[in-house]
Amino acid sequence: MLHLENIAGETLEMHPWGGLFWRSRGMLLLSDLHLGKVTHFRKYGAAVPLKALKRNFSRLQQLQEVFRPETICFLGDLFHSHLNREWDFFESWAGACSARLELVVGNHDIIDPVRFEALGIRLHESWQTGPFELTHHPMESPGRFNIAGHLHPAVRLAGSGRQRLRLPVFYLREKQLILPAFGAFTGMHVVSPQPGERVFALTPEAVLPLETPNTADG
Amino acid sequence: MKAAKDRHQKWTEQATAWFHGQGWIPFPFQVQTWEAFLDGKHGLLNAPTGSGKTYALWFPILLQYMKEHPGFRTKHRKGLKAVWITPLRALSQEIHQSAQRILQDLDIPFEVGIRTGDTSTAQRAKQRKAMPDLLITTPESLQLLLATKGYAKTFASCTAVVVDEWHELLGSKRGVQMELALSRLKSVCPQLRIWGISATIGNLEQARQVLLGPGSEALENSVMIRAHVPKRIVVKSLLPERMDTFPWRGHLGLHMLESIIPIIEASKTTLIFTNTRGQCEIWFQKLLERHPELAGEIAMHHGSIDKETRLWVEQAIRNESLKAVVCTSSLDLGVDFAPVETVIQIGGPKGVARFLQRAGRSGHRPGKESVIYFLPTHAIELVEAAALQQAVKLQAVEDRTPYLGSFDVLVQYLTTLAVSDGFHPETIYREVCQTFCYQALSQEQWEWLLNFLVLGSQSLQSYDEYRKVEVEADGLLKVTNRGVAMRHRFQIGTIVGDAQLTVKYQKGGYIGTIEEYFISKLKAGDVFTFAGRNLEFIRIRDMVALVRNSSQKAGKTPSWMGGRLTLSSEMSRILREELYSAAMPEEQQAEEIRALQPLFERQRLESIVPGPDQLLLETFKTREGHHHIFYPFEGRFVHEAMASLLSYRISLLTPITFSLAYNDYGFELLSDQPLDVRMVLDNDLFSPEYLLDDLQKSLNATEMARRKFRDIAVISGLVFSGYPNKGVKMKHLQSSSQLLFEVFRDYEPDNLLFQQAFTETFEHQLEEGRLRLALERIQGQEIVWKACTKPTPFSFPIITDRLREKLSSEKLADRIKRMTRILTGG
Repeated sequence: MLHLENIAGETLEMHPWGGLFWRSRGMLLLSDLHLGKVTHFRKYGAAVPLKALKRNFSRLQQLQEVFRPETICFLGDLFHSHLNREWDFFESWAGACSARLELVVGNHDIIDPVRFEALGIRLHESWQTGPFELTHHPMESPGRFNIAGHLHPAVRLAGSGRQRLRLPVFYLREKQLILPAFGAFTGMHVVSPQPGERVFALTPEAVLPLETPNTADG
Repeated sequence: MKAAKDRHQKWTEQATAWFHGQGWIPFPFQVQTWEAFLDGKHGLLNAPTGSGKTYALWFPILLQYMKEHPGFRTKHRKGLKAVWITPLRALSQEIHQSAQRILQDLDIPFEVGIRTGDTSTAQRAKQRKAMPDLLITTPESLQLLLATKGYAKTFASCTAVVVDEWHELLGSKRGVQMELALSRLKSVCPQLRIWGISATIGNLEQARQVLLGPGSEALENSVMIRAHVPKRIVVKSLLPERMDTFPWRGHLGLHMLESIIPIIEASKTTLIFTNTRGQCEIWFQKLLERHPELAGEIAMHHGSIDKETRLWVEQAIRNESLKAVVCTSSLDLGVDFAPVETVIQIGGPKGVARFLQRAGRSGHRPGKESVIYFLPTHAIELVEAAALQQAVKLQAVEDRTPYLGSFDVLVQYLTTLAVSDGFHPETIYREVCQTFCYQALSQEQWEWLLNFLVLGSQSLQSYDEYRKVEVEADGLLKVTNRGVAMRHRFQIGTIVGDAQLTVKYQKGGYIGTIEEYFISKLKAGDVFTFAGRNLEFIRIRDMVALVRNSSQKAGKTPSWMGGRLTLSSEMSRILREELYSAAMPEEQQAEEIRALQPLFERQRLESIVPGPDQLLLETFKTREGHHHIFYPFEGRFVHEAMASLLSYRISLLTPITFSLAYNDYGFELLSDQPLDVRMVLDNDLFSPEYLLDDLQKSLNATEMARRKFRDIAVISGLVFSGYPNKGVKMKHLQSSSQLLFEVFRDYEPDNLLFQQAFTETFEHQLEEGRLRLALERIQGQEIVWKACTKPTPFSFPIITDRLREKLSSEKLADRIKRMTRILTGG
């Protein structure tokens, strides 16, 4: 189930897998796929299940069918490390993809830009489009609303009976939205939302808005 | 034996003469060991610390050599003759000294070397070129030797391996490492004799089997020698003066601090044993705070303090220059301290064997009795005190359960062999199958393991870049990639859990090591107590935590894991009996139980003190939620399994979420909803039927296996822990074992290493056999349900325990809706 949220005058749709769809532009935003991570580990002798790398591509495929995006924009850390054979999978996916592809470069993206450009992918340090500035690292964008990744945000929840949960979230701040990591085998970073900020948790079936603290001490 | 005696007399006489020269008489067990060894036997020697066990085995090793090499004084043959394995590198100095003494006095031109994690690179390189005649090392360093080229040649001349403190290794994966190393050495050393030395444990016969291999020739040709060194142990409980102010929970015991002062004053040297390093730090601090006159007279000793300081403390004990030392299990083993007169144990030792060993640290002189004082940290621990008295009388020592089928250690071992000279699978399979741990290893599992090493447990895929072990033309499995080999060498020996950080002053100066887990919770400016100092945390740089001295009072003390051991079934039985005696006339009660009367009265206000025919269930509500507490008094592990089983069975009947806690007396199911107790009682949820199946399923529902997987991932090389103290960052290759667990669960659940996390929890932690017996006992009991208005004295230690397990049968979204708050501050 999608969650719709009006942000900077635009309607943005949050998907339980961590994708964000900007319908009026037909743009699907995805962050921190860390493609190639499974292969990278295997290359160094850690036998991470090979099947894990397929999830990224099958989810990409499915989201395309759900949203039919004109543009897919990756908010950085598309590739985990150096070039490896997972690139071949990406290349054939990109070749067959009807949407225009954009990449806002992240700290892990060390692959030669020429390779991306050869696939028709446009590269950005940051990208100002509509009311938004899209970046990898969350940052202040004077006069604009920042959408970013990098953080792999998650929150810890507590309830009666000593219950505890940790869930990946979309993290909405005053002038900023931080996307959860889309990639398999990527991990999370727990954030502490401040008063006035909001978070939307990913669960298998739905994106759920959570109550956030009213006071600073939570 | 008579014949052996005559045959070897010529040689054993030399040893006896040496003893006489020292003014000693050899114990019968020493002579027996000499003779058995010279007779070509393997064996297990059961002897306590401080009984002269090193002389029982160094002598025959040397005598055998003298016998076979008549010209040994003039014609010295280079090469390794014997290996002595010790679980603690701190003990290697002592072993070295005792060997050196004999060599000198018998005029044997042998060199003794030590090779542990502390040995310098230069020294190691020198040893690689020319091994010392006698080598003292640890199980990890022995594995590292198997990872060096040409190891078979290095070991070919070795005639004996002695595994010291075998009981310490037995129940751990380091023990499995030892089994594997011995299986290899048996093949490469044709003259090898294998000997173990063990303190008294419940399963000594099994210990011998594990050491030598079940059904092996070595076991056939082996002996068990027991040193019957008579020793009287007196246990004295320190009772609180007033029971009404004595706490119901807690593990520090500080309120009774004053009661040990007269004990310290009355004896020459006292060892004060605590259960954790954190507790050790606090006690040391508080003793000095309240008794400044003790400054300079007391010291602290635990595993995280730097080696120099530890050695200094050990020496000071021998010199009798200290009145007392606050310590942890770091002083359990080895090192003889004759001057120690008194031992104090703070809090339940959770093991009779350990308690006896600690008691044995005092009164070393022959004929002297050992006195140990037990200081309870909370009220119910007095029951444990009474039970300990009984257990010591009955010598009810527990078993050390050896591991079975540890695929992680085997993967590590096979990689080790592939790194050095490579291996032929058929040869190694035959050897491995003869060990205790892998006696049931099937051909199919073996093939899986080989495929894991060569293809990363996949079928061959053109796009796969997996690289570890390669198959050479003649079928030899070998690591050819230098990076793989280097990372593997660093990985050997990381069997112990959490990553360790070095603690240093910013200006320089090493203080000790500390678990990353603790440091990761500190912010710059936080003050914590460590090594008896108040330190302000500055930052972490390259695996080093930088600190400066602080005059502020410390806010935090590292809480090290550990101390979460369980009572044996025998000890649990004794504990139950002590508790049942609460209903008996006073004169039939132990003094500890009598002292507890006020507590029992409080307990009886709303509940009962259960008798042998009753299983008590208490329910009450607090701010935390609805508490449901069961008291089977079966020991922690059984309660862990029972809590898991029961909560799983309940969760099948109704969607519910539980937080589980347990101790040695009972377990708690905590929930945000009240439990329908009638439902629990009517549905026969304690039934031993379908036990195995339900228990297995409950494991999937809790996170126990997830935690086990952590070690498995590190040992098998799935998680690379980085280069300790080298400052080399391998960030690209770091991932949490949690993440990895999920990936395996979702994509490769039939992976043997993933499966191992479950079988290990099942066999090693949950102890299905004991659980079944406990459930059968409960079948004959009446369940007494007491709905209380507030926590009872019995419930207190359980409900305040923070180490918890969880289990839920609710939908995630439903749970989230009831969650009340987002935690801030990480």
